[in-house]
Amino acid sequence: MYITNIETIPGKTIVEHFGLVQGSTVRAKHIGRDLMAGLKNLVGGELKGYTELLSESRDEALQRMIREAKSMGANAVVNVRFATSSVAQGAAELFAYGTAVRVE
Amino acid sequence: MLRVLAQNADLVIFLFLTGLGYTAGTIAERRHYSSISRREAELLRLPVVTFKNPYPVEALRGGVMVMGSVVISIDYFKRLLAILRNLFGGRVTSYETLVDRARREAILRMKDAARRKGCDIVVNLRLETSAIGQSANNRKSVGCVEVLAYGTAIALRRP
Amino acid sequence: MKFTPRPLSENVNVSKTHPLAELAWMLGGLALILMVFYLLVGQAVEVVAERLPADAERWLGRQALKNFTVVASPALDRRLQSLLATLPADSSLHRSDFQVWVADTDEINAVALPGECVVVFRGLLEAVASENELDMVLAHELGHFAHRDQLKGLGRGLVATFLTMALFGNDSSAASLVASFTLSFDARYSQRQEAAADAWGLDLLVARYGHAGGAVDFFERMSRREDAPRLAYLRASHPHPADRIRSLEKRIAARQYRLESVVPLDSTRLLAEPPRP
Repeated sequence: MYITNIETIPGKTIVEHFGLVQGSTVRAKHIGRDLMAGLKNLVGGELKGYTELLSESRDEALQRMIREAKSMGANAVVNVRFATSSVAQGAAELFAYGTAVRVE
Repeated sequence: MLRVLAQNADLVIFLFLTGLGYTAGTIAERRHYSSISRREAELLRLPVVTFKNPYPVEALRGGVMVMGSVVISIDYFKRLLAILRNLFGGRVTSYETLVDRARREAILRMKDAARRKGCDIVVNLRLETSAIGQSANNRKSVGCVEVLAYGTAIALRRP
Repeated sequence: MKFTPRPLSENVNVSKTHPLAELAWMLGGLALILMVFYLLVGQAVEVVAERLPADAERWLGRQALKNFTVVASPALDRRLQSLLATLPADSSLHRSDFQVWVADTDEINAVALPGECVVVFRGLLEAVASENELDMVLAHELGHFAHRDQLKGLGRGLVATFLTMALFGNDSSAASLVASFTLSFDARYSQRQEAAADAWGLDLLVARYGHAGGAVDFFERMSRREDAPRLAYLRASHPHPADRIRSLEKRIAARQYRLESVVPLDSTRLLAEPPRP
């Protein structure tokens, strides 16, 4: 499964497209990470716990999108975009969307 | 018995609202989903893509930007589940249906606008999600999720 | 470019778990954590209550006293001292300097506060009919001090709320949930503590008067007046008056205390006595 965020897969031609595919997930942090973040707030710097959490969530969103594309019979997803937003206290929604295509 | 209830009034109100949220929320959600599935089946022929214009200039008749947006509110039951999730971490499944519905509804409204303008495809789709103002993060009130879907609807020349 | 519409059969973006099942799991996990927390904090509170320095305790008592409008009562002070005089010489209570205050409210109650304060409500003074009854109430409050209940009463709920506030912030829903649950649960003496204070107070009354007359009078009057069903007492601060009467009578029978006539009391005289300047 090819994933790009440009309009084409370099070196291949798009034969047909199946429309939009989207994968999203809503994740919340737990107390442990919250405590560490609170402590980190005092000294500043990267919040490794949160970074890990969000990148795991992004992976999951991407996987869901790929699953949807596969079920349509596509073998590539082009022009992928990501978006993050906070939907509730302590929870963030991550989603990935792109166009499912078949390349040769 | 009534006195015990009156003394614990907030708890009773909380339980009642949670129950109401669960029952009414589930009914509303199921109805919304069936409406979404029906309209998606109707509008299946109108594709929505995220890449820019794949057609040569001669094939185009015109293009116009179209948008669809929707605001969906959270109910007490979902909020309770989200609060508990904040303790344990992990996927907030109660919100997944919420954002999913909101996104699909926004895209459907956008497709509807494109169809009414007589267009054949919507290109360069972008989606924006936000929690309305401070209310989603405010302890006292139940918040809302807003999704905006916008893209350019292109009308092709008939071959 | 060719477009082939493909309808989707499953929704990948929604988990298949049923929300009620998820709620049950999380509430179960939460209950487990709270129970462990409760036990641990209970232990911690015992330790702290034993070791809290006297002036910190007096400060706490002064804060608690601010909730009432009180006047000092030398008559009640004297009563308390004569009760204390009957205690054995090695009792820890002799080291304390007790003060009795009268709170201006119709409620029928008395509380033992940290810092050697006893607050008796005016409603109670108007309700008692004999000296023995009044001394039973004072002895009961002394019982709380003897068992060091006055700090433990505040203990758990306060610590639990404090910790939740530290974790989630003052404004979070989690903190308010924990606070409303634990503070109402524990912010008063437990029923067991009340029963223990009843028993200790009874022994002191008998030491003072030589008999147990008047010990249950107050509760009998309360139970006749009180028509709340038993269910309301499950989480109330005091046991049901009928239960208290039964426990006291059992103790009187077990220790073979005599029952003699009581000394009537004119409570208006008590209340009219001017406070010491």
